[in-house]
Amino acid sequence: MNRQAIADELDSQVEMLLRGRDGVRTASDPLLKLGAELIVLPSPEFRSRLKDELLEPSRGFGSATASFEQVSASGLEGIAPLLGGKGPSLFPADHRSFLVSFASHAALIALIASGIFVVRNTTVKPTSLTSELTYPLAGQGGGGSGDHSAVQVSRGTPPKFSDQQLAPPAIVVRNPEPKLAVDAHLLGPPDIKLPQSNNIGDLVSSNIVMPSNGSGAGGAAGDGSGPGLGSGKGPGVGSGNNGGYGGGPFRPSTGVMAPRAIYNPEPEYSDEARRVKHQGVVVLSLIVDPQGQARNIRVARSLGMGLDEKAIDAVKKWRFAPGTKDGLPVAVQVNVEVNFRLY
Amino acid sequence: MKALEREPDDRMLIEAAQRERSHFAELYEQNFHRVYTFIARRAAGREEAQDLTAEVFHQALASLETFKWQGTPFIAWLYGIATNVLAAHWHKLGRDPDQLSEDWEQGGTDEIERRAMLAELVESLLPDQRMVIVRRFIEQRSIREVAQELGRSEGAIKQLQLRALESLRDKVGRKI
Repeated sequence: MNRQAIADELDSQVEMLLRGRDGVRTASDPLLKLGAELIVLPSPEFRSRLKDELLEPSRGFGSATASFEQVSASGLEGIAPLLGGKGPSLFPADHRSFLVSFASHAALIALIASGIFVVRNTTVKPTSLTSELTYPLAGQGGGGSGDHSAVQVSRGTPPKFSDQQLAPPAIVVRNPEPKLAVDAHLLGPPDIKLPQSNNIGDLVSSNIVMPSNGSGAGGAAGDGSGPGLGSGKGPGVGSGNNGGYGGGPFRPSTGVMAPRAIYNPEPEYSDEARRVKHQGVVVLSLIVDPQGQARNIRVARSLGMGLDEKAIDAVKKWRFAPGTKDGLPVAVQVNVEVNFRLY
Repeated sequence: MKALEREPDDRMLIEAAQRERSHFAELYEQNFHRVYTFIARRAAGREEAQDLTAEVFHQALASLETFKWQGTPFIAWLYGIATNVLAAHWHKLGRDPDQLSEDWEQGGTDEIERRAMLAELVESLLPDQRMVIVRRFIEQRSIREVAQELGRSEGAIKQLQLRALESLRDKVGRKI
């Protein structure tokens, strides 16, 4: 049975499991047994909503005064105060409290209905990522390798970048008459411009005397372990692990899929901005890591009046489907627009 | 089964939360799954379990100021509140609250630890696998709905579901 057939068969059993039908092989199939346990797990959305609700500042700390011992001792009735005022709370309830509360709530509702309060509304455009950006200068720039030479790689300039690397750069050519001669390239966007000269080598090396492929191990040049240049492990230049140049994250471009927000609760409006009806767009620059979490959040376009902080607080809670390169999740730098509107 | 490792710094976290309520988030994250599972085993459905779990944490936060550290894990305090919340709820429904203590003695702790572990392992899955598990099993969406949301074919989602379950099975195996 091929993999797809196994997946189809499993799914038909899962479907029966979800519909509560008999005949599901939960006892004999560990995957289905696992599925049966997963069904009763709480939804992540509930977990995160409850957390927000608990930490909302408007719910005053200590609003309920019963201690643990008191809660335990009071038992059943201690769980919720009784409207009738006969509950076993710490202080005797007063009927007038209910009337005062009712009246103040009614007044508040009337104020809102009369339009005195401005309703806030924030819109978030998680899809407005900077996909128009071209391939990065700061990619996860690759690293190089050498041929175990005892001498540090020679100083020089890297060859040009190409979308495909047919031959890695080498300073000391071990096979001077190859059957199929091709130019050496580094893997990366062809529009990356680095200094060029006749001497291939590592820009940061201190060896300016002796030609050497360096102490790495990959058949190219450098002290790393990939077919690039530098101390990293990839086919690019620098200390990273991939193509391109540098050590930073990718940006959306050819071959790099942008991350997508899958859970994006709206930001709050700051009191200060609401008071003066301040509106606009905060642009945040951030890195979505391979686990789908926002890292290194920076304000790229500020709106002020506390809205930048509110935007950051909200985006910290967001979850993304991470960006991918060659189908694998990678860290990707993106910009996110958080739109604050009052109407 | 290995129980999940208990966090050694309960006391520090509690004291921090008593000073600044935002630190309650740490205590919440550490104990959410155990409290939810404790409640869910005794609740009639997901909605009821969620309501009661919310009640437990609201009560815990409200009375945290009066909590005095005596060396008992924080989760034990939360179970105490949960028991009271459940007892009140059962009383309202006309059920016998005494069954709670019997139920507690019948191997409930192992199941709670296993479910809490499973929930944490789901969070450690690759994002697309986690998404399929949440949508398919927890939210009980159809393969077609998940495929549409993720912009992939139904066949691909079924394969993803298979890989996610296999990955979870392996992770559980390593924990046990």
